[in-house]
Amino acid sequence: MSSWINRMPGINRREFLQTSALGLGLAGCASRLSPPDETTVSIAAAPDYDQRIYAILRQVLAEHRLDVRGKRVLLKPNLIEFEPDGPINTHPLLVHAALEAFRSLGAQVAIGEGPGHRRNTLDLAEAAGYFRAIPRFEDLFTDLNLDDVVHFKLNYPHSKLNAVYLARSVLSCDLLVSMPKMKTHHWAGATLSMKNLFGAVSGGVYGWPKNILHWAGIHQCVADLYRALPHHFAIVDGIVGMQGNGPIQGLPKRSGVLVAGRDLAAVDATCCRLMGIDPRRIDYLQFATGDVPQLLRSTRQIGEPVDRFATSFDLLPELSGLRLVQPV
Amino acid sequence: MSSLLTCQNPDGGWPYQPGGSSWTEPTAYAALALSIDPSAAPQVAAALRWLAAHQLADGGWPPQPGVHQSTAVTALVALLGPAALGEASYRRGIQWLLRQTGSDTGLLNRLRLIAYGRYPLQPAAGWPWFPGTSAWVIPTSLSILALRKTMRLMPGPAIRERLDQGEAFLLQHACADGGWNYGTAESFGYTARSYPETTGMALLALQPAVARVIGRACALARAQLRACQSSEAESWLRLGLAAHAQLPLHATPPVRPARDVRTAALAMLASAAAQGRHVFLD
Repeated sequence: MSSWINRMPGINRREFLQTSALGLGLAGCASRLSPPDETTVSIAAAPDYDQRIYAILRQVLAEHRLDVRGKRVLLKPNLIEFEPDGPINTHPLLVHAALEAFRSLGAQVAIGEGPGHRRNTLDLAEAAGYFRAIPRFEDLFTDLNLDDVVHFKLNYPHSKLNAVYLARSVLSCDLLVSMPKMKTHHWAGATLSMKNLFGAVSGGVYGWPKNILHWAGIHQCVADLYRALPHHFAIVDGIVGMQGNGPIQGLPKRSGVLVAGRDLAAVDATCCRLMGIDPRRIDYLQFATGDVPQLLRSTRQIGEPVDRFATSFDLLPELSGLRLVQPV
Repeated sequence: MSSLLTCQNPDGGWPYQPGGSSWTEPTAYAALALSIDPSAAPQVAAALRWLAAHQLADGGWPPQPGVHQSTAVTALVALLGPAALGEASYRRGIQWLLRQTGSDTGLLNRLRLIAYGRYPLQPAAGWPWFPGTSAWVIPTSLSILALRKTMRLMPGPAIRERLDQGEAFLLQHACADGGWNYGTAESFGYTARSYPETTGMALLALQPAVARVIGRACALARAQLRACQSSEAESWLRLGLAAHAQLPLHATPPVRPARDVRTAALAMLASAAAQGRHVFLD
């Protein structure tokens, strides 16, 4: 393995913990990536999974003026099932396009995922088309479920957890890029860039699925992880998403967009609007921000307008109360 | 076997991936697999010392030494048996295992689920991955296998009762297609399909269960084996079918690459089972 994650042989566990603790402490004072004051979310038209994605993604990153030269970037797609063509996994071509786009900005890029469903992650990635789409994928990839863990204390948690075992690689990167599929979720309403952070929690410790996050409160845990992992960026695969009984058994839904931004909550709220879901009714957004209407007001929208690509995703009858009635 | 031996860490444990730090699960699988070959006795002894050093005060084992919580990996360690672990250590591990049950069988949760009409009135108690959470097919299957070994060595009513409960849990969670998923067979009115790895594990754990269930599951497992996409699934299916003497005589040998220590050890265990040495059932 040759990704930056796997090239840390000189660091022992204690040194790592000291380093990460220092990094996390500094994080509250000044971000290493200088995020803008404004929460900018971009919507880019992306008609299909083809070569155009490469240029689209470079443009998206340029719009967000990411300074990642020399930084360690970890791409975190959503890998769930052994399917190359279904709407369940983040499309491998998009992940490759992100890899190339971040590399072109001078970043050291790795890929990591810790599925919460099926555990043989590399076999899953191969079946999902990642080996074909991404040269030397195995060298770049870390199974976050089997990574060394850090016992991470949660300050003022919303959930019942006071601490959680997180994958070391997630805490040691400079920028975590959450790359979910745009999907409905039968418990959370929608699974987007924030819910995708569940993959940072160690399956090796908690098992498959990471059921402790369900018992501690799904929405609350999503909000806790959002706060625990502050250096993030989101690129949501909304080219073909999933509607109905997501995140596994739903049906394809084409939106033809990529949604991106530095604030995962703002990105997810925008995705909800695109999906015909009222972001004010998604509990994890409320827990994370404390004021979703304020989040919506403070979000600066660039690129394509929401109403051009908004399309109503089918919801399970139990979730019909989440339907967006009037545009927000 | 040599690739497994070269991955052993100097501390006696095994990592998931070569070069990583030692975890309990790959260490237990590697020790089980290498116990087949007497020439690997020194490596197995080192693994057993590592395991002995990391047993927690409550009798269980943590997934990794830095984690201060016993989990379902205890069942895997217990499969090594009292002769390997030492009788006192083994008994404490089994006692820990007997105390674990899924939180989904708690009274409050049962009432809630019954109100939604989503659960049988008398749910059987399976095992969780992590204490305080729901029971799932994989930890339940592994716990049944561990306790079945205990039942042969030191039988008792408490063990018999948990075995019965565990087997009932698996029967309650069978999917409509005859196999097993990770958990529920139905959710929000949708039928969940089974997976090969969980079908193989449940089949292995349900050795003495109802013939009709086993026959159907074996037929499905043989079909899944032909279309397998992972080394782990392939191994569990072979282990499950071998347990019921249903592994096709001319079944192709494992063809999927084992990409980590755990799956490499599982492939060894599956090959041994196909040749008549079934470590899980010894």
